[in-house]
Amino acid sequence: MGRNLLLSLTFICATFLCSCEMLEYHPYDVDISGERGVTYKNIDLIETATAGHTSIRFAMISDTQGYYDETLDAVMDINRQNVDFVVHGGDLSDYGMAREFMNQRDIFNKLTVPYVCVIGNHDCLATGRESYEAVFGPLNFAFTAGDVRFLCLNTNALEYDYSEPVPDFGFMERELKNMPAMVKKTIFLMHVKPYELVFNNNVAQAFEAYITEFPGVQFCLYGHEHKFQADDLFGDGVIYYQCPNIAKRQYLIFTINDDDTYRYEIKSF
Amino acid sequence: MKSNRSKILAILSLLVISLSNANGTKLSAEEINGTSGRPMHVHDRTSTPDSLSAFERRQLKYAQRWENLIPKYVKTQFAGGMGMLSFGTGWEYGKNDQWETDLLFGFIPKHSSKHTRATMTLKQNFTPWNLPIKNGFSFQPLSTGIYLNTVFGREFWSKNPDKYPKGYYWFSTRFRIHAFIGQRLCYNIPERHRHFCSSITAFYELSTCDLYVIQAVRNSYLRPRDYLRLSFGLKFNFF
Repeated sequence: MGRNLLLSLTFICATFLCSCEMLEYHPYDVDISGERGVTYKNIDLIETATAGHTSIRFAMISDTQGYYDETLDAVMDINRQNVDFVVHGGDLSDYGMAREFMNQRDIFNKLTVPYVCVIGNHDCLATGRESYEAVFGPLNFAFTAGDVRFLCLNTNALEYDYSEPVPDFGFMERELKNMPAMVKKTIFLMHVKPYELVFNNNVAQAFEAYITEFPGVQFCLYGHEHKFQADDLFGDGVIYYQCPNIAKRQYLIFTINDDDTYRYEIKSF
Repeated sequence: MKSNRSKILAILSLLVISLSNANGTKLSAEEINGTSGRPMHVHDRTSTPDSLSAFERRQLKYAQRWENLIPKYVKTQFAGGMGMLSFGTGWEYGKNDQWETDLLFGFIPKHSSKHTRATMTLKQNFTPWNLPIKNGFSFQPLSTGIYLNTVFGREFWSKNPDKYPKGYYWFSTRFRIHAFIGQRLCYNIPERHRHFCSSITAFYELSTCDLYVIQAVRNSYLRPRDYLRLSFGLKFNFF
């Protein structure tokens, strides 16, 4: 009898030992705990820290979905590099579950420099895009680091069924029209490159036409295919660099010099 | 949408068939065909008077089989990946009623989403031991099982929509399989105090789902609280 009473006490104890975040209503419940609106906060930090600079240095990581150990290792390695900020090429989540976005955010918050993430095709699944918007922010955004304008674009057209313009030419036009005066160069960040399956390839040429309208286009950055690549996709001199996925234990570092040149390194960790 | 609905119907009908066999009632072709147009009475299942004719006995068996389909309890559960609150009913069977099958309906609050969502769960429980304490209380040191959860909404699919190349995403966003272990505390209401139910059971469960297991196996970064989920529930027995 006494033993059974003891057993039932374990029942009560066990229920109190568990923490609150274990009370989850559903993996796709967009119930975000911790920091929200990361993108705009970090844009502010990047713009303030690099204001007036004519040379910048940044790291790019991509496709970190489901590889938390490697992502954490990359973050620690980047912290040893002298970079101004970090950009992420999308696919933070594998399945679009809210917890995946929060886990990734918590790892990226260990970076000693600010970071921004574009949305990947996996991030659009189920309630993923709502979680992305809550944790990070808008799907298309731009910021200025030194004299370089970064356009971060949602190019996952296949996930949208024409419900939203992807890529959003309206956004690009507004950016062109309202380009800050100090901007001399432009860099584009997207998850999927033109001519990849997920891109809206009916407008691939039109997209490139918009890209070349921007001042001092340096290059385009993307992820998605999980390997390093550098191609002049349209034969017009605009190089598209692909960042390998984090499982390859690699990331890229770009240095934009003040003499109109840039340099990139592939870092292994 | 249509194929999903028929799948759910198929699951339900399987459930019904398995339950109608669960109490050891053997169905024979004769019994199945032996129905007639007479109004049905629900008989006491323990006493079958000898005076009944073969037809009446057949009729009685038929009624008893349907009686097995009467849900034995209602259940409500908080969290556990099946919604904020789930309500449902179910059936107990086995020698000591150690097997339980629930059908639960839950909802996911809006939070930062545009919609509130509905979910449905088919849950199989196994509770092998029941240890009496005293004053009508008993303790069930282990309850374990699996459940299949489906969430309603156009943004979830059970397999890749046609717009993707075949097998582009290997998983389903609509269906999740969860496994759980937990414990229960049961209070058997004395007969003179019974109004609405015969016993009340409180339980807690630790669960995880297919996709959480995959990520937990791959990453030492994840701690148990990242992939284990806690839920609480109450069960009110009618029988």
